[in-house]
Amino acid sequence: MIEVQHINCSYGKNEILRNLSFNIADGSFTSILGSNGCGKTTLLRCIAGLLEPQKGSVLIGGKPIGNYTARQRAQMVSLVQQHPQADIEFSAFETVLMGRNPYQRHLQNESQEDWDIVEQAMKQTNTWHLRLSLPSQMSGGELQRVMIARALAQQTPVLLLDEPTSNLDIAHQFEIMELLRDINRNEHKTILIVVHDLNLALRYCPEALLLNDHSLLYQGPTAEALTPDRILTAFGVRAQNKEGFLRFEK
Amino acid sequence: MKKRLNIWIVSLGLLVLLVAAMALCSTVGVVHFDRKSLLESQIFWNLRLPRVILSVLVGAALSVCGATYQSVFRNPLTDPYVLGISSGASLGAAIAILLGLEAHLWGVGGFALLTALLTILLIFKIASIGNRMHTTTLLLTGVCLTFLITAVISLLMALRQDKMESIIFWTMGSFASSSWLDVWIVLPVVTVGMLVVLFYSKDLNLLLVGSETAQSLGVEVEKVRRRLLLFTTLMVAFCVAACGVIGFVGLVVPHCVRLICGADNRRIIPYSIFVGGLFLLLCDTLARTMIPPNELPVGSITSLLGAPMFIYLLYKSKRKI
Repeated sequence: MIEVQHINCSYGKNEILRNLSFNIADGSFTSILGSNGCGKTTLLRCIAGLLEPQKGSVLIGGKPIGNYTARQRAQMVSLVQQHPQADIEFSAFETVLMGRNPYQRHLQNESQEDWDIVEQAMKQTNTWHLRLSLPSQMSGGELQRVMIARALAQQTPVLLLDEPTSNLDIAHQFEIMELLRDINRNEHKTILIVVHDLNLALRYCPEALLLNDHSLLYQGPTAEALTPDRILTAFGVRAQNKEGFLRFEK
Repeated sequence: MKKRLNIWIVSLGLLVLLVAAMALCSTVGVVHFDRKSLLESQIFWNLRLPRVILSVLVGAALSVCGATYQSVFRNPLTDPYVLGISSGASLGAAIAILLGLEAHLWGVGGFALLTALLTILLIFKIASIGNRMHTTTLLLTGVCLTFLITAVISLLMALRQDKMESIIFWTMGSFASSSWLDVWIVLPVVTVGMLVVLFYSKDLNLLLVGSETAQSLGVEVEKVRRRLLLFTTLMVAFCVAACGVIGFVGLVVPHCVRLICGADNRRIIPYSIFVGGLFLLLCDTLARTMIPPNELPVGSITSLLGAPMFIYLLYKSKRKI
């Protein structure tokens, strides 16, 4: 279980998160929703242990995330970032193999087990045929799937994703979301995902965290989070729910 | 997956090559031996052998430092001198030369080492925010300090024109006065430094991808970066103090290795040790044997020999750096 307890986060004088508290149950598939700049990415970074909140704490497995070593943390939480690096000279296979780093010692080479896990992760994300490609030779969707494969190779119970669908066309958005849904269902991974497309969240994520004004507006089933009232408060946009599909007006 | 040659086999091959080259290079020179006369054996044991060993050590160290910096700073243009250590050392050397300490054992080298270490301290102090090290600030501070110190050296030379030649000669880098003392001073630092970098070579790969990614994949980024920078800067400081500024090796050897064997630092670091050592050994041997009895500056040989080789590799390679 992920427990976020009264965290405050700010960059300089800029307050990003204010007294935020919630729990995420094991095996849930939760979207983090909210307008630009409301602290979604910051929240994800706090949970991943990349950023230490000024106040409050994030607990995973009952222990503050800051008390784990980097290796232990990387065995529990994996993160798929918003903009995957496309200018590196590592092939897709080498990239996914890096996901095994938390399990290896210094100077230790990858074992057969590592190779098998990487192969499985790449086949699962339909990237095995790209294994020799460099990031610069892949499309945005392919690269994003490689990054998800790396996170899967980390074999963590918790998977965090920061807008993995932001640069993708609609078919690829569905592909990624369906992949994540399968991972959540079959492997019971806890998934927390920042999504901008509310309909995408409504369609694929059973649970939602709706942020507004640097704090939590609502936590619960996505359909109940995205009522016209709450959408107006959080995004300043009028919305109608027509047969499970949101339509927006100015 | 493309099968790649085992790192140990390639390293062993390169080591054999290096040792053979060292043996060969220590026998060529202005004085030819039959190893019978006392003078000749003196020249061999006290002049040529330490020089050969030192050039290998420095070449290896500079290449490893260059490879490390290129990954830590995620910038292919960084070389071991980018943080201003070389200019710091040159300032110390210039002061020592002005004070007339050339005749003293490690007088110039000691001063150079001292100012190089002070420069490092200053740069790290400026670029640290809390317990984090800001890499862009670090690079910019290094570049600025280089300008500042170079200006001071120019002023010193303008004021004492009689010493200008020796200062310029020192900054060009040379192994002409290498002794066993240099070897014994440089060897432990370089050995420890190279072992540290080898130990963290896998982490260097992850740092190359990005510090946040590295952190989320289990690397203690700040700790690793700090240790790597500490040990590499020490290596560079000792090398510069021992033999002056020898350019090009640290920039280009890692790139050549990278063009041939790919971006994996677990290969680049060990191969750079051998290739860098071999390259500088050959350059120095050429520098001292091409126009006997005079010596050419080894720094110009490294560029003359290295630049065309590197451009050829760039041209032939499908990979980009």
